[in-house]
Amino acid sequence: MAEIDSTTVVFGGTKKAGAFNRFDNPWLNWKFLTGAGILGLIAALVFLGYQFWDTSLALTASSPLNLPPFGLEYQKGKDTILVGVPEHPLGTENSGRDMLALIIVGTPRTIGVGVIAASVGMVVGILLGFLAGFIGGWMDDVIRLATDITITIPSLLVLIVIQSVLGSVDLVTMALLISLFSWATPTRYIRAQVLTMRESGYVQMARLSGVPVRDIMFKEIMPNLLPYLAASYIGNMTGAIISAVGLEVLGFGPQRIPSLGVAIFFSIEAAALLRNMWWWWGIPTVILAIVFIALLLINLGLDEIANPRLRKAS
Amino acid sequence: MSQTRSNGSERVVLNVEKLRIHYATPQGEVIAVSDISFDLYEGETLGLVGESGCGKSTTAYGILQLVQPPGYIVHGSIKVDGTEVLDLSEEELRSFRWTGLSLIPQGAMNSLNPTMRVKDQIIDVIEAHEGKQTDKKALRERIYDLFAKVGLPNRIYNMYPHELSGGMKQRVCIAMGVALHPTVVIADEATSALDVVVQRIVAQTLIQVKDEIGVSLIVIGHDMGLLAQIVDRIAVMYAGKMVEIAPVESIYAEPLHPYTKLLIDSIPSIKERKPLRITEGITHDPRNPPSGCIFRLRCPFAWEHCAEVEPLPIQVDRKHEVACHMFDEQFEERRAHAFATTANP
Amino acid sequence: MGGISLNYLVRRLLVFFLTLWVAATLIFIIPRLAPGDPIAAMVARLTYQAGFVEDSNAIIEGWKERFGLNDPVYVQYVRYMGNLVRGDLGYAMARFPSTVSELVGRALPWTIGLVGFATLIFFTVGNLFGALLAWTKTPKLVKVMIPMSMIFTSIPPLLAGLLLLYVFGFKLRIFPQNYAYPLGAQPELTLEFILSVLYHGFLPAMAIVLVTFGYWALGMRGMMVTIEGEDYMILAQAKGLKPFYVLYRYMIRNAILPQMTALAVSIGTLVGGSVLVEVIFNYNGMGTLIFTAIREQDFNLIQGTSFILIVTSALAVLIIDLCYPLIDPRISLEGK
Repeated sequence: MAEIDSTTVVFGGTKKAGAFNRFDNPWLNWKFLTGAGILGLIAALVFLGYQFWDTSLALTASSPLNLPPFGLEYQKGKDTILVGVPEHPLGTENSGRDMLALIIVGTPRTIGVGVIAASVGMVVGILLGFLAGFIGGWMDDVIRLATDITITIPSLLVLIVIQSVLGSVDLVTMALLISLFSWATPTRYIRAQVLTMRESGYVQMARLSGVPVRDIMFKEIMPNLLPYLAASYIGNMTGAIISAVGLEVLGFGPQRIPSLGVAIFFSIEAAALLRNMWWWWGIPTVILAIVFIALLLINLGLDEIANPRLRKAS
Repeated sequence: MSQTRSNGSERVVLNVEKLRIHYATPQGEVIAVSDISFDLYEGETLGLVGESGCGKSTTAYGILQLVQPPGYIVHGSIKVDGTEVLDLSEEELRSFRWTGLSLIPQGAMNSLNPTMRVKDQIIDVIEAHEGKQTDKKALRERIYDLFAKVGLPNRIYNMYPHELSGGMKQRVCIAMGVALHPTVVIADEATSALDVVVQRIVAQTLIQVKDEIGVSLIVIGHDMGLLAQIVDRIAVMYAGKMVEIAPVESIYAEPLHPYTKLLIDSIPSIKERKPLRITEGITHDPRNPPSGCIFRLRCPFAWEHCAEVEPLPIQVDRKHEVACHMFDEQFEERRAHAFATTANP
Repeated sequence: MGGISLNYLVRRLLVFFLTLWVAATLIFIIPRLAPGDPIAAMVARLTYQAGFVEDSNAIIEGWKERFGLNDPVYVQYVRYMGNLVRGDLGYAMARFPSTVSELVGRALPWTIGLVGFATLIFFTVGNLFGALLAWTKTPKLVKVMIPMSMIFTSIPPLLAGLLLLYVFGFKLRIFPQNYAYPLGAQPELTLEFILSVLYHGFLPAMAIVLVTFGYWALGMRGMMVTIEGEDYMILAQAKGLKPFYVLYRYMIRNAILPQMTALAVSIGTLVGGSVLVEVIFNYNGMGTLIFTAIREQDFNLIQGTSFILIVTSALAVLIIDLCYPLIDPRISLEGK
């Protein structure tokens, strides 16, 4: 049977072996890496911006008004034509802010709100998720109920009510307000995962052999949850930034040093769409869109890292 | 034993020739089924046995054209009533399925669609092959009739799978499997998930239905005792090869292949306690099987010749084949000697 | 098949009513936790806007007396809850004598219509695309095209709204730039009016759909991949059923169940997103009403509008939850 010998190539990688990546390092996922790369690039550009650009131009009345980006013309009124200048490469807006300075200052502030709110929400979520999933009983009932209620209430509306009383607040306060709601989704998610894992063989074994609950949580369950936690964190961050931008566009953001959402609020207030000043709202919008796409790619990558079946299917 | 042993018919309804199935893994090709050939006769019940991982289920799925990736059929021929299954186009295969070959699946617990009523899962197979049924009353009568055949009450007609017990689900699968009177039915470990008592009852039902409808049946299992009561012939598989195929009486009275011997000797009985004769032994790497005989690493009788030449099936009797060198006429002396020394250890 | 299990029903209703109670209480407490005297601040702003400051203290006292703000907090709370239960949300202070209920009554149908229309589209398209992404018989070309169409996924609807409005409203002038129907037109049940409503609602709805359906497609794809590994899928194949029948009756039918649950969870985010889209398009719904209320510093209107939107969301969640047993036979088991 010569045929057997010719088809059984061992450890040599046959022609079909390329179809598998199950044994490759799962973190080498192109979606995850691309997303992380985009965020890294944005961070690097912001850093360079702070080094080489005058960020005080982000304040009002620091620059000429309503300039289009460098090299372009803007028809303002019947016979006024404004021409972009190299001193303000991305143009300026209605109250004399330089758009380049504005995005250098605004981008990290916008992402920062997401990081703070997502972190607070995540810590609370991990705590409550583990309590509910691991201890169970009435604790689980209460936490589940609180989670269901918090998820049902559109958080933006309650935030609007709070902010309408507080007026415009600084970004850290805004982030903390958002985190009042950002714990619910991670809690629900982690609880479900913990419940599944608690029933799994290896955790059962650890319990039977008398390993303390704390050790089971942190040594047995936590490491396996990591990709899920990371995905949940990124999802949470996306949600927090969406809330923050929403509140800012409604006018609740800090007015002096703007973030990206506040810039969009100003542009809407000043009817920039009608006045054809596309760079004013367009540049912050596009940067936000890129940030969101990067976060989505990271999340999709993490999903595939956590779920081998999806990896195989893609 | 109440079954009728059908030795009569000589008409071959299923002919499998040199079927070979591989699983492609990054480390190489795993040979799951290695050049298996056998015939199934009209009205016959054939048992396919072997330890787990020996390729018996893969063989069944290969015959049904249901090998799931990364598995694939390397070569072979599967003829049902003379039709070459491997040559069918996609649409031809679709309409051939269930009318030519049907399946009673292994995990009846999860084999029914959880969001469809029992009746709809039987109706859909009827309508897929016989077109839209306009006479709803006749359709219902037909399904009640199927229920009666497998001992199911009519009240489950409108129920969902989660409302049935495991044994009932298995019966639904049997009813579904014979609904179109297929040429061959393959029951893949159809009773393994059930408890022992229900197992026997369901197995009895299976045989009754088979006799009543007159289909041919392949039963896959690992319980030699249970199979002995319901099948006409037994095919023994080891590591992807078929080592022996024989009428059930002769295989129990006088197993020929050393592996079959070990299997039969391991069947527990009430009269005597027997030590498990099959040991884990030296199993080989399925990607790189040993030269010559596949069983030689565990075989108590192996000698040099077994490492050099692969044993081919030898016809020793009517419908009885064995793939072992000892049954080659030139080694008759060796066989007599080996059997004499190990007959009663 | 004796309907929904009691336990399930009780739990859903409990969550529903608790949600309303928590939301109402939050809205009651928040202004009272704020530093300073919001009523005084508001009256000050109102009087400033009105252009005279004469006797402002008397006005503040008058307001407080009128709204019972001098009573103990618990009395206020009970009265407030009583009013809510009777559907009395008070006056829109900046548009006296209009009541909050009147304004909400005019705006709410538009928001429900917009969100409902958008949900119908993104849920259908998203699940269909997701199913096609996972299905083995989908043409290669379609499998390449679908991910490309999902490029906008995860961008907030508000930003998508800005881009769409600029391109199709201001540059190409294909779609109207604002409002839910032409200014001056009377809402009526004529074909012309309905068409103009669809025409006006198309861009705002698209702003929600474009950035949302991708999520549903991805979720559906994940579910389909899981279901493809189920035992009943092998049997479906062995049965020789038609591939398209297997797709919708075996795969989509089972994969859609967790998607319904996910829809209920996402309602809150969805409503928040549509509020902002309305602001961008100046659509005459609840979002725009809230936005104007914020500008007019009309607390009562902000609170009333928010509360009604929360009630609407909770109701939508409840409806989905109560419909769920109809599509998943395993839930409808009685007792337990």
